[in-house]
Amino acid sequence: MLATIVDTEALLKTIVAAFIAGVGVTLIFSLAILGASRFVDLSRDGRSAGAIAFGALAVVALVAVLVVVAVGIIVMTRK
Amino acid sequence: MQNDVVLVIVVATALAFDFTNGFHDTANVVATSISTRAMPPRLAVGYAAALNFAGAFISLAVAATVAQDVVNAGAITPTVVFAGLIGAISWNLITWYFGLPSSSSHALIGGVVGAAFAAAGPSAVLGAGIVGKVLIPAVIAPIVAFIVGAIAIVVCYRVVGRVRPGHAGRGYRLGQVVSGGLLALAHGTNDAQKTMGVITLALIANGNLAADSAPPTWVIVTAASAIAAGTYFGGWRIIRTVGTRIIKMDPAQGFSASGAGAAVILASSHFGFPLSTTQVISGGVMGAGAAKRVSAVRWGVAGNIVVAWLLTMPAAAMIGAVTYGITRIFGTGAAGPIVVAAAGLAMVAAAFTKRVRVGSPVPAP
Repeated sequence: MLATIVDTEALLKTIVAAFIAGVGVTLIFSLAILGASRFVDLSRDGRSAGAIAFGALAVVALVAVLVVVAVGIIVMTRK
Repeated sequence: MQNDVVLVIVVATALAFDFTNGFHDTANVVATSISTRAMPPRLAVGYAAALNFAGAFISLAVAATVAQDVVNAGAITPTVVFAGLIGAISWNLITWYFGLPSSSSHALIGGVVGAAFAAAGPSAVLGAGIVGKVLIPAVIAPIVAFIVGAIAIVVCYRVVGRVRPGHAGRGYRLGQVVSGGLLALAHGTNDAQKTMGVITLALIANGNLAADSAPPTWVIVTAASAIAAGTYFGGWRIIRTVGTRIIKMDPAQGFSASGAGAAVILASSHFGFPLSTTQVISGGVMGAGAAKRVSAVRWGVAGNIVVAWLLTMPAAAMIGAVTYGITRIFGTGAAGPIVVAAAGLAMVAAAFTKRVRVGSPVPAP
């Protein structure tokens, strides 16, 4: 009865999208903070190889966050 | 001509409702950003108002749900929509007066359903649409926001656990500029669309639009402007009380809570579910708080939210139905809505004056 009333597919997609966006963006942004922080610390210690690696992590993660946010808004506007 | 007078009253009432919605919800939208000092209060409120305005333009799925899936548009008249709006506004004012947390969205849908029921009987109410598109998502969404907020904060602490606190704090404050902005965008998207849906319903009922029509551009622009103005002016009241009424959170919690709220509201808006943004944001805040320390959450407030959730739709529906009955005493023309609108304005002025004399209401979470 309830299954015929509720659009289960849309509801499940909503839940999955909310989990992926909410937790995924948090994870990626946290990696950006980790990368940026380690980059600063390692640069100060003169460990340039490690600093470059963490700096790259920070940049890639930050770009990924911006891409996810932009894609999310574009998807919203297309319906 | 008489119908056009009623339509003008309906549009003005709907926009007034939209303004109060923004005014009332400013606290929810900017609380996390101000609490963690991610943004100064003035900037946070202006930023939220601008993104509320922009959010109203990014989707129309919720407006379509309100206009087509809640009540049978063929059985609706502008007077029914007016009575529904009065039901919603009255319930919002009653709960504001007594300091109860309530959902403007549920009040709006409840009011319209009650007035439609009184006007045309059970056939005017689309039960399946209400259960499937309003009630079930209303239960699920705050729970999802709670879980997403809780998992997100655990992820934050795991990843940045050994990062210098200063770096992490600065990083998450910066992140909150984005997540808080998305929350304001999400709020504008979901809440402004409810007003668009109601005005569209009135335009269809008055014969100005064909059934299944999308909201005209002027409806979108005015609804967006009303909610943004409400958010902006509501903010100054919040700024004065900030620091005493807002939950204390660290930047990571603020980032997680606003991110969880934004993710749930935006995803729901995409699929046309009209949610209570207040309850979803509260869910995200409680999740981010509970994952760190269960006792940090004011569980009494959570209980009040549940009670308000149970009461809001039936109470607004009842007021909407009674209001429709009162307007019919004056016939089917414009006299009924004019008398009720005038009486309503007088009561609002009286309640506001008394409330101001007694003191500020208890803040909604």
